[in-house]
Amino acid sequence: MPARTRNADPDMAVGTTVQLVLPSEVRLIDLVHAASEKMAEFVGFGEDEALNVGLAIREAVINAMVHGNRNDPRRAVRVTLACTDGALTATVLDQGAGFDRRQAPDPRTGDNRLRTSGRGLLLMEAFVDEVRFSHPPGGGTEVVMVKRLPSAGRQG
Amino acid sequence: MKATVRKIGTVSVVDLSGKITIGEGDVVLREKVSELLERGDRQILLNLQNVKYMDSAGIGELVACYKRAKEKAGTVKLLNPSGKVHDLLQLTKLEEVFDTFNDEKEALVSF
Repeated sequence: MPARTRNADPDMAVGTTVQLVLPSEVRLIDLVHAASEKMAEFVGFGEDEALNVGLAIREAVINAMVHGNRNDPRRAVRVTLACTDGALTATVLDQGAGFDRRQAPDPRTGDNRLRTSGRGLLLMEAFVDEVRFSHPPGGGTEVVMVKRLPSAGRQG
Repeated sequence: MKATVRKIGTVSVVDLSGKITIGEGDVVLREKVSELLERGDRQILLNLQNVKYMDSAGIGELVACYKRAKEKAGTVKLLNPSGKVHDLLQLTKLEEVFDTFNDEKEALVSF
């Protein structure tokens, strides 16, 4: 069994899903971040990794609100947090025009380091195990992030 | 986020505490550094010891402050980035842009 923390709740760890639907208002991001950290704790992540989960989801929601929905409070962001055994899966869906990950420049190189924006994707990809983008038939951009507990000690 | 200033010689040390994040901490940082530049301060040391974390907007604001100071022939340096803040500066390669110190005295004489 992977090492679990004090707040890990085995009954909560499988199949529990929380969904938040938010207007695109930046002041609501702390709320989503806090919910994300709490769900990460339920799965069994320690404090530092739970913060990493919170940071990754925070960035996805910032992107959804600011870039996807262009800060229009009439456009919603849907955040789904799902606990499975040993992993947290977060889905963030906006109502924007779509997004091509490949077009985003690397903020770590040369003059890009002096840009005041453009680091959200870097943080997301650094702090969770998987980041996948898609464009659902209903429109918008959907990003799915998965973070798994370390598997040290797991049997078979 | 809180920002208080100590003037030590010609250096303005800005003690920050809390988190530098979108819509709140980034604004506090921007306003404090703008205030210092407007009153003629040119040597600014941001003390990050009590900053728990930043998001991309907070990091962007650090860069904006750096550029704003440079435009006025000033300098912004960083003190005591720890834990997550240190990790973020490494991840974004901003440790190669900012002069960063773990000792205040050393930071002060570097200006």
